[in-house]
Amino acid sequence: MPMPDTILEDVFNAINLGLIIVDAQYNVLFWNDWIFKHTHIKQVEAKGHKLGGVFSEPLPPTFLNALKNTLEYGLPTIISNALHRSPLPLYDFSSQTNEKVRINQSITMSPLLPQRGGRHCIIQVTDSTTSIKREKMLLSHSEILRRDAVTDSLTGIFNRRFFDEHYKIAFHNAIRQRQCLSILMVDIDYFKNYNDYYGHLSGDNTLRAVAQALKSQLFRASDVIARYGGEEFVLILPDLSAGQAEKVAEKLKNSVFNLAIPHKNSPLFNQVTISIGLSVGMPKVEYDILGRADAALYLAKQQGRNRCVALPLLDEEQK
Amino acid sequence: MNLLSEMQRDALAEVFNIGAGRAALSISEIVGDEVKLSVPSIEVKKSVEIGVETLPLNNERFGTVHQNFTGPFEATAMLLFSEEKALEIVRDMMGSQMSLEELVEFEQEAMCELGNIILNACLSAMADILGISLNSTLPCYTIASCTELLHTITSSMDQDYVLVLNIVFTSVKRESEGQLILLLSSASLTNLIRHIDHFLGGI
Repeated sequence: MPMPDTILEDVFNAINLGLIIVDAQYNVLFWNDWIFKHTHIKQVEAKGHKLGGVFSEPLPPTFLNALKNTLEYGLPTIISNALHRSPLPLYDFSSQTNEKVRINQSITMSPLLPQRGGRHCIIQVTDSTTSIKREKMLLSHSEILRRDAVTDSLTGIFNRRFFDEHYKIAFHNAIRQRQCLSILMVDIDYFKNYNDYYGHLSGDNTLRAVAQALKSQLFRASDVIARYGGEEFVLILPDLSAGQAEKVAEKLKNSVFNLAIPHKNSPLFNQVTISIGLSVGMPKVEYDILGRADAALYLAKQQGRNRCVALPLLDEEQK
Repeated sequence: MNLLSEMQRDALAEVFNIGAGRAALSISEIVGDEVKLSVPSIEVKKSVEIGVETLPLNNERFGTVHQNFTGPFEATAMLLFSEEKALEIVRDMMGSQMSLEELVEFEQEAMCELGNIILNACLSAMADILGISLNSTLPCYTIASCTELLHTITSSMDQDYVLVLNIVFTSVKRESEGQLILLLSSASLTNLIRHIDHFLGGI
């Protein structure tokens, strides 16, 4: 037994999807409750009128062309939300704000071939607002996760993981563009003594303060500072001459000195200081600039701390 | 083996170029910038002959939009772009309209629409010029590896023939190349050739 038309109409009105049926002359034959809900135009007001004239706003040409093609050639057409945010003037009237919000739509047009009256077209409209919200939420979550993955939780600067990746990129960029690269290894002097004397909580605060002081000296987007481990920090500064890099190192050293954080357990000074090892030059693939910066840091420690020692990428005799 | 005469091939290329022109018009309207589409070459092969060398399948993965159509002849139409190229085109298209270029779901939907525009334009041009009427399913977008793709083409039971068209997509920013593939049964190919001959006879 065929399903009575009244049940079919109830079904069409019950589904959570917009349905519009137009005939070959673009006249609206049917329009379900979902469309009413989002237009506040009743089916009786739309029925028998050309679809383009039913709304108080004009329909975009892409929508009308798609409809024309579907009716003319009988080929189904889709109008994606990605390329047309909101082709039909459909609104979310339940929205709490006073402004009418036009809903995001994905539209599918399929030809229907009833027994008489030429080709018809059924237009299905889905609300893609929720899927857009969901995607945006997922995107922002993944952005947070991505940021967390490269941030040192104590100091808020980049972590070792980020540094290792960034170092490789910066190193190869410098080789390719024949530019200088500067690596600065920074170590807080007598930090173990500091922790023993003031406790780990103060130690953490000092690490944070030093990280911020160092970071505040960087002004170029290309400069990166990361926590290398423990009380060690590392900086990558591309495209600076040896002289410029040494000036930056001097400023970094002073910035920490000027914090004037008391350190009564320091054998040399009564306050927190840093030592810096700088290696600078035009890198080649086989160079170990990090090892070189580390060696420079060792020299800075040997020569009395609270200072910067710079080393070229290769010793003079090795050149 | 040459399955189509030069005349027949030219006629078919003409049909598809008209389709491509219509598609370009629709796409330009969406992008708000001039986009050109052309079909420089066309080939008919037995599907068993399709291999890596027929399709420039050096890329690992493909974005494919397919629609099955029926009428005087039946075919599976597949539009192939390397995944990378597909995303480039779609990102260009989405560009100014929304800042959602990282949203994968939307790219897929947009790719589906792009494929739908190109396929429908080619089918409608065919319908107009050959004086026939075609029905089609809704487009479906999938991402497939080269192997999966070759498997689909060569394993379709009764569709022994393949019509391969190269499509060149030129926008202000880039030129991309894709393939339009029609999988046809031998009966459908015969019918298609008959319609082409009829069209050639009429001019």
